[in-house]
Amino acid sequence: MGRFSWRWGRRNVRTGLGILLICSIGLSGCAQGVEPTASSAAENGQPGTSTTKDELVLAVGTEPEGGFDPTTGWGQYGSPLFQSTLLKRDAKLQLVNDLATAYSVSEDGLTWKVTLRDDVKFSDGEPLTSEDVKFTFDTAAQSGSVIDLTNMADVQAPDDRTVVFTLKSPQSTFISLLTTLGIVPEHAYGADYAEHPVGSGPYKLVQWDKGQQAIVEANEEYYGNKSAFHKLTFLYLDEDAAYAAAQAGTVDIAAIPAAFSKQQVNGMTLEAVKTVDNRGIMFPMQPAGAKSGDGLPAGNDVTSDLAIRQAVNVVIDRKALVEAVLEGYGRPAYSVSDDLPWSNAEAVFKDASLEEAKHILAAGGWVDADGDGILEKNGVKAEFNLLYFAGDLTRQSLALATADMVAQAGIKINVEGKSREETKKMAYSNAVLFGWGSHDPLETYNLYSSTHKGEGYYNVGLYSNPVVDSWMEKALQATSEEEALPFWKKAEWDGTTGFSYQGDAPWAWLVNIDHLYLVTNGLDIGEQQIHPHGHGWPVTSNLEEWSWDNSAK
Amino acid sequence: MTGRNGWARFVGFKMLRLVSLLVGVSVLSFILMQFSPVDPIEAYIGGDMIRVSAEQRSLIEERWGLNESPMERLLTWGQALIQGDLGTSMIYRQPVADIIQERFMNSVTLMAVAWLLSGIFGFALGVVAAMRRDSKLDRLICWYCYTLASTPVFWIALLLLMVFGVWLGWLPVGLGVPAGMSANQVTWGDRVIHMILPALTLSLTGVASIALHTRQKLTDVLESDYILFARARGERGFQLFRRHGFRHVVLPAITLQFASFSELFGGAVLAEQVFSYPGLGQATVQAGLRGDVPLLLGLVMCSAIFVFTGNMLADILYRMIDPRMKEELMS
Repeated sequence: MGRFSWRWGRRNVRTGLGILLICSIGLSGCAQGVEPTASSAAENGQPGTSTTKDELVLAVGTEPEGGFDPTTGWGQYGSPLFQSTLLKRDAKLQLVNDLATAYSVSEDGLTWKVTLRDDVKFSDGEPLTSEDVKFTFDTAAQSGSVIDLTNMADVQAPDDRTVVFTLKSPQSTFISLLTTLGIVPEHAYGADYAEHPVGSGPYKLVQWDKGQQAIVEANEEYYGNKSAFHKLTFLYLDEDAAYAAAQAGTVDIAAIPAAFSKQQVNGMTLEAVKTVDNRGIMFPMQPAGAKSGDGLPAGNDVTSDLAIRQAVNVVIDRKALVEAVLEGYGRPAYSVSDDLPWSNAEAVFKDASLEEAKHILAAGGWVDADGDGILEKNGVKAEFNLLYFAGDLTRQSLALATADMVAQAGIKINVEGKSREETKKMAYSNAVLFGWGSHDPLETYNLYSSTHKGEGYYNVGLYSNPVVDSWMEKALQATSEEEALPFWKKAEWDGTTGFSYQGDAPWAWLVNIDHLYLVTNGLDIGEQQIHPHGHGWPVTSNLEEWSWDNSAK
Repeated sequence: MTGRNGWARFVGFKMLRLVSLLVGVSVLSFILMQFSPVDPIEAYIGGDMIRVSAEQRSLIEERWGLNESPMERLLTWGQALIQGDLGTSMIYRQPVADIIQERFMNSVTLMAVAWLLSGIFGFALGVVAAMRRDSKLDRLICWYCYTLASTPVFWIALLLLMVFGVWLGWLPVGLGVPAGMSANQVTWGDRVIHMILPALTLSLTGVASIALHTRQKLTDVLESDYILFARARGERGFQLFRRHGFRHVVLPAITLQFASFSELFGGAVLAEQVFSYPGLGQATVQAGLRGDVPLLLGLVMCSAIFVFTGNMLADILYRMIDPRMKEELMS
């Protein structure tokens, strides 16, 4: 998207004012036309800052251009808002019932049975039955969209309150689909559903001005806790425009990038939400000469050496990265899923240790024989490229800062900005700065399992460890998430091996980036979940908890 | 050559050119999109990359016909087009014709206002500068035009946004309608208010070229012998301009103004982006960045027709204003 640097504009304010002065002379003729209309803008354009209103204006995320149809992807992040899901995750990311009253998984992990509430109505007054659930999953499976139901063999609705899913192979992460896929009504589903969604969620869509805003109102038929806010308006603004809107007092909540965080906005408070929206360095794990699934050159002689990967990991001062690059809004990252239930706390390590790095490198046979400050081993210099998506300032800064830190240990990193397309081709043979972070442990599987070696953006480094694979298979075959958790943790570090730093270290995770929101004074946005990758929509997942904090009046 | 016949030939000829232009432009755009490094599937999936298995990817390919060869896809598209079907947009999952229609109404008003303002003010400024040549006023106008001509549209847009939207709070910072207002309550006044900043941005930058060209042309005219003669007869100031200058400078100004349709369109893309204004420009950026071939082809054709119309109108106006042109045009 065409995002233009606001700060660049600020620096040139004085020049700009000069130009504007001239402009106003040149256009003095039309200024008369401007003024009367401008005053009426102030009357109806501003939602005001009164703390008793039950309406909110939010600029928190990009527009779901495809509309509000869960079967083609709406609601994958945050909540579907207009539809409800079978299960959901609370502030602690624990699974809780939503439409479901109970669910069970068969011994072999192939049959999932879900029982539904019997008091749920869609916003048009029609009851929600198991047929609607079956219809939703069938439709999503056939939609050819981002909803991946390729592992679902069949879904049946034996009676009004029961849904039975049959899987092709056991998949404990199937639960994520039950927590994210909003249920659509069979009777009201048609070609224009995405524009006129009907659902059983807390809100219903009143109006969607494409490219501009969506206006939603509380759904009277909603069975759950009612939100304190009757009407919400979601503005679809770029980060720059959202910030400008916040300054102008037009919005109650605006999502902003860290770069804007140092500037005060009158009447608003900055809220930082913890995330697993992480950034980390992916290392090619094979020596040069390997091939990816698409036949592209893969492997790298330097990063395939464990000592290099571990030394890079341990020498990086992650706290310093958070302070310097994220303005303090973030926290160090040691895995792809920090603080999520399936991450292993034992895999956290003490970083920013030059001594440790030197020790590891020396033990690995890396020495600086020619005295140029860069280590060698068997005639190979400890030097590799680190790619990042050009145009992403945060990634660029992280890459440059990391390269500086790693240089102290005698490893030279050449930082290069590339387009997404170039990166994709070069990723198999060069280290790349990527970002992940999901509420679904399937992501861990996709990143580290040898099943997905060299497949698109999955496991680009061609990492493969049979022990890790077997732990993850066990995790997938578990019949519940709790049962799967220990296996996920063991895959990360089981005491002897794993994909953590102590094990094979196929990644050097750097930071988790806080999501920042400017919130109108007095508005309480409740206890937020640890947000996944992707800024914006997740903030709405607990709308029913939002309220005005009366003491702040 | 009779008048009516001439017109018919003129229009027929133009239509033929339009059709060939559209065919050429769409085929060329299609080929360029094939060479573009943007992978439409990846663009379609966007940030959800990790959730999509290889199997699912091939389902998406199939759903959007991306597994067919480029030639097949172009033919399918062309066949549908002949039947009046522009196809379905990948990102909006809506018929392309609907999206263009919806967005066109927003953009066209915006561009029309900006175009009229920049034309009128640009012409007036150019005339004033030439008539008061080398005066302080002239230098001021020139300086203003040079500055604007070398200023990026989006930068002006950001400045206006900051000053009028944020600091003064007179005008809304974005969108085409007031936030949170239901469609039946939105008045024309609201729409006008929301259009002011983007339209102002567009017209401010459009003024420069027309003013500078008009100034130059009028300066040439003023140095000619018949002006010297008119001056000798005692004609001065506005009267001199109206009798002897106007006709000479209005034609180039009109041509230039109609020919500026393409810059207008380009400027609208940037201005709409900054002000989150829901016009064609916003859709074009999305379609290009995300490899939405059907939508982009639709928009390319739409803009080609738009620019072509501008040039054709200039031709027609030439013929009406200056009968001498008729023969030249026909030959």
